[in-house]
Amino acid sequence: MMYDPENRLTDAYEPEVGTIPSDAKGRDEENVTKTGTTTVGISTEDGVVIATDRRASLGGRFVSNKSVTKVEQIHPTAAMTLVGSVGGAQSFIRSLRSEANLYEVRRDEPLSIHALATLAGNFARGGPFFAINPIIGGVDEDGSHVYSVDPAGGVLQDDYTVTGSGTMVATGTIEGNYDPEMSIEEARGLAIRAVQAAAERDTGSGNGIVLAEITDEGVDIDRFDDYESAE
Amino acid sequence: MQGNEQQAYDRGITIFSPDGRLYQVEYAREAVKRGTASVGVRTADGVVLAADRHARSPLIERDSIEKIHEIDDHVGVASAGHVADARQLIDVARRQAQVNRLRYDEPASVESLTKEVTDYIQQYTQTGGARPFGVALLVAGIEDGEPRLFETDPSGTPYEWQAVAIGGSREDIQTYLEDEYAEEMDLEGGVELALRALASVNDDGLDATGVDIATIDVESQQFSKLEEDDIAERLAEFELGGEE
Repeated sequence: MMYDPENRLTDAYEPEVGTIPSDAKGRDEENVTKTGTTTVGISTEDGVVIATDRRASLGGRFVSNKSVTKVEQIHPTAAMTLVGSVGGAQSFIRSLRSEANLYEVRRDEPLSIHALATLAGNFARGGPFFAINPIIGGVDEDGSHVYSVDPAGGVLQDDYTVTGSGTMVATGTIEGNYDPEMSIEEARGLAIRAVQAAAERDTGSGNGIVLAEITDEGVDIDRFDDYESAE
Repeated sequence: MQGNEQQAYDRGITIFSPDGRLYQVEYAREAVKRGTASVGVRTADGVVLAADRHARSPLIERDSIEKIHEIDDHVGVASAGHVADARQLIDVARRQAQVNRLRYDEPASVESLTKEVTDYIQQYTQTGGARPFGVALLVAGIEDGEPRLFETDPSGTPYEWQAVAIGGSREDIQTYLEDEYAEEMDLEGGVELALRALASVNDDGLDATGVDIATIDVESQQFSKLEEDDIAERLAEFELGGEE
């Protein structure tokens, strides 16, 4: 068989390893587990703090799981949140993680956070991971970065960002209290207060908090049943 | 019977000879030697590509002799051997450079671009019915602020160099480079070395219309070709026999 040059080139909108499962019609939206969720990402000079609640719900009316870890490491110095359909988000995370691994082993340097976010945006746009809206937070040689990725592939960088059903409440908590000079500990406190406020008012969020701290050393993820012990 | 077996590994690209050689790949290297030379020199300030592109007739349009090609803003390629084969590989490199920007929103690294090209070349040494590429390339560019210079050969092996020659008189030019190369030279010194290296095997001297030079400097990270006047000026300055 002659080699087909067209197929040598990587599709920018698809993973190199595996394929993005198509969102087949007739999937029962009502019975798909959703995170509901409040996920917060705050960037500081020393690193990034990501905070998420721990609730999964069915149709927004039933709490289907009370101890979900909605932030996962996807890169030596980056993490991503699960927001929206749990199946879609988990598959998305697996794809991105393997792409980041492949890039690093091939090129002997990790993906930059901007490249990681661009790749995530392309995958979100190229494949129907229905209703996912993750945050990517990470640290590279250019510093700390927080990005949100929307289901249509929109990628936006910011000093802090919030996604999920509790977005309005959590953003209100952070707004006016963020300071680009703040320490990673101060950012941690602010992220906890934001998730706590959302858990009080948003039915899709609650059941404790998971905190990820990302520095140039790596990613630390801790789970807490209550907000006081997270401080 | 014996004669037929001899032919089999001589002609079939996917067949090893009894002593473990791929003759078609070796013949492809001979095709590279029949081409005019190209030279690459890496300096601290950037990379220089220079190519002999003397014309077989004064009536040919000089610009139609392609030896040095821009791949992306920060990467260039010089070839030696079959020009038509080179064009295919150059297009692979150009497309891959854009795929990298589309996929990661970052310029492609010189090393990964080179390896995309060599992996592509390698496929043609292992595929039935295919013929290997009768061309070698020098891939030069800036990656994370560092100058890089690679060679691809018809087997699909990538090599990295400080200074290297491909094509006709390769051994002699390489010896000249080995004698004269200095790590601390600047970009202008690299241009001079590349020109002197090409001239070292041309008894009649060089002619500005018969040489192509491009640089990619660390500061601008931009591929840039020297104008004919600039080349003529340097040939005169270095007394390399350029006739005005």
